[in-house]
Amino acid sequence: MRAIRLICWCACGLALGAAAGVGAVAAAGSVAGPSPPDRDTARIIDVGHLPPLLRAAGDAAMLRFNVFCPGAVEGEPCDAAGDVFIRAGTAGAFGKIPLRRTDDVADGRYVAEVPPDLAASPEGFSYYAVLRNEATGASLTVPSAGAAAPQLSLPLADAVVVHLAEHRFGSTRHTDARVVQAPWGSAPGRAGLLHGPTFGPIGPSAFDVAANGDVAVLDQVNRRVERWHAGQHAGDIPVDVTGGIADMALEADGAIDVLEPGGESRTPELHSFAPSGALRWKAPIADRTWSQLRVGPQGPEVQQEPSEQWMPAPRLTPAAQASRGHPGRTLASGKELVVFRAGTSEARIAEVSGGRVKRAWRIVSATPLGEVQLAEPLDNGVVVVLRPYTETQDEFLVLVLGARGVERSFGVDSADWAETAPLARFRLAGSALYQLGSTPNAMHVDRFDLEVNR
Amino acid sequence: MSLLRPRVVFLVAFLVALSLAAAKAALATFVSANCNYNAPTWSPNMYRDGSVTVALVARYEGYHWGGGCWNDNNVDEGPNEPLQTSSTGGEGGDCSGLTFKVWRESLNTGDGGHYQWGRLRNVHGPYTAADFKAGAGVPNATYPKADAIVMDAFASSTHIGMVYQRSTSGADQIVEAKCEACGTNIFTRTYRSDSSYGGVRRMGWTG
Repeated sequence: MRAIRLICWCACGLALGAAAGVGAVAAAGSVAGPSPPDRDTARIIDVGHLPPLLRAAGDAAMLRFNVFCPGAVEGEPCDAAGDVFIRAGTAGAFGKIPLRRTDDVADGRYVAEVPPDLAASPEGFSYYAVLRNEATGASLTVPSAGAAAPQLSLPLADAVVVHLAEHRFGSTRHTDARVVQAPWGSAPGRAGLLHGPTFGPIGPSAFDVAANGDVAVLDQVNRRVERWHAGQHAGDIPVDVTGGIADMALEADGAIDVLEPGGESRTPELHSFAPSGALRWKAPIADRTWSQLRVGPQGPEVQQEPSEQWMPAPRLTPAAQASRGHPGRTLASGKELVVFRAGTSEARIAEVSGGRVKRAWRIVSATPLGEVQLAEPLDNGVVVVLRPYTETQDEFLVLVLGARGVERSFGVDSADWAETAPLARFRLAGSALYQLGSTPNAMHVDRFDLEVNR
Repeated sequence: MSLLRPRVVFLVAFLVALSLAAAKAALATFVSANCNYNAPTWSPNMYRDGSVTVALVARYEGYHWGGGCWNDNNVDEGPNEPLQTSSTGGEGGDCSGLTFKVWRESLNTGDGGHYQWGRLRNVHGPYTAADFKAGAGVPNATYPKADAIVMDAFASSTHIGMVYQRSTSGADQIVEAKCEACGTNIFTRTYRSDSSYGGVRRMGWTG
């Protein structure tokens, strides 16, 4: 009897001890305890859509969407439906076109054919789409502000057409000045490198140039902005950033805007720092993803996806940002500069005002073109930096475009050993083009003077 | 005082169990606590847009070097792991592990796959990013970058990301497990034009 009692006490001790041990460690947070519940799958709905911002004669008048949401069986396509709301120009009532499901997923499984009268409208057409997950009723509007800030598609009737022959790789121009040269490291005058050569090196992810020619480099790995003056390191400004790949722009008053990546459950955020590095404000962007940040006449603007629209960001809620979305970057003149990379080897650039194309260029290349890294007005023309590529080569191609086509052009080595923000490798200040580059030893910023043709 | 008095027995048993349980619990990782080794499900059909949804589930679930197990609660339950260390057992896939699962590949490189792996199935698959870049494995092939569409991929010797959507700038929105600090998400990237990246296509899509 005594032995049985002792065994019972022992068993109780073991059970309570085990429970207490697991509980104590879980409370201390050092154990992978029970996970929070899965998210509501009904809201996992997203869309892929390439808005035809600038259309040339002969382009198919179709709007295509891919809709992503959980199917009844994981891996099955979304059981979706939706409507496109469309009108001529930028005013008037929208008409509704139901989306048709197709078997072609390459450019979008769900298709709306634009009526011929709208496709031929000289003022283009504007539209938005409402897409539904039929299984759950969840829906998504793209662009998210819907009728308040619809997508705009403009015809290019009188574009200057530039034909580029097969790109000659290796004929690149030398820099006019190396204005920043920083070996990898964390000491003053050095620049932080994440990962290193065996794991996709990431260096300073963005930079900008002040009106006086001083260069600011976002050294996000070391949580600072480096100031460079006349080719010399002039000081560091500590900034509270996450350290991920971010874009950056300087405002006229010296404020430093940093567009942070989205992280774990976080919407990407725009952080605005005073010249001292003190945080002035921060705001989440409206869409899930960003591609670039620039400063316009009213402050910072962010190009966002899936809308592909430029949205003003300072101190605005996401909904307020979305309601002011527009297809091009706002210029100092008040016009917009719209960029559209069509097909595999054409870039279209248009100055737009009042919903109309004022002047435009079509750059048709015999070599595939990657991203348009930069498009900026310069005097009476536009500077465009493109990236011709093959399977094994890539370079940047700088074009100065005028009323009759290409006025000047030159190639620039891609110098992209370390990764940067996607569209942050070039900045134009005055008549000088600056390039952020890197090698296994150091990062640098080079200056190319555009009034000099070499 | 006898060591076999009930209270002493209880106390000793309690302390022993407490120590063992605490030690075991402290050593538990996300993988050991949550993941399984269940067999995958084979299906005849494989859709590009359906596979995008598989990738979207992994969004926000973190990055784990050499990993391939995640849940769907928008929380990285193994954050801040040391670089290029798999033994920490954190949540998430790495770039090639995510691609392997989303592309429904097989552990047998000579098999065309079509295997739906559960999100909590801990599997990385046999391919590194460099393997994918070379088109290694029966289901995979190198492919012209200019022609890459949704759910094709761009791979370098150290990284791979899958095409989510082309952008108006000519860059791409890429769904990828990028790095420990970056997590798994949709990012705008310029891999298409970067000569250190090659195009890769998973063959055998239904549509």
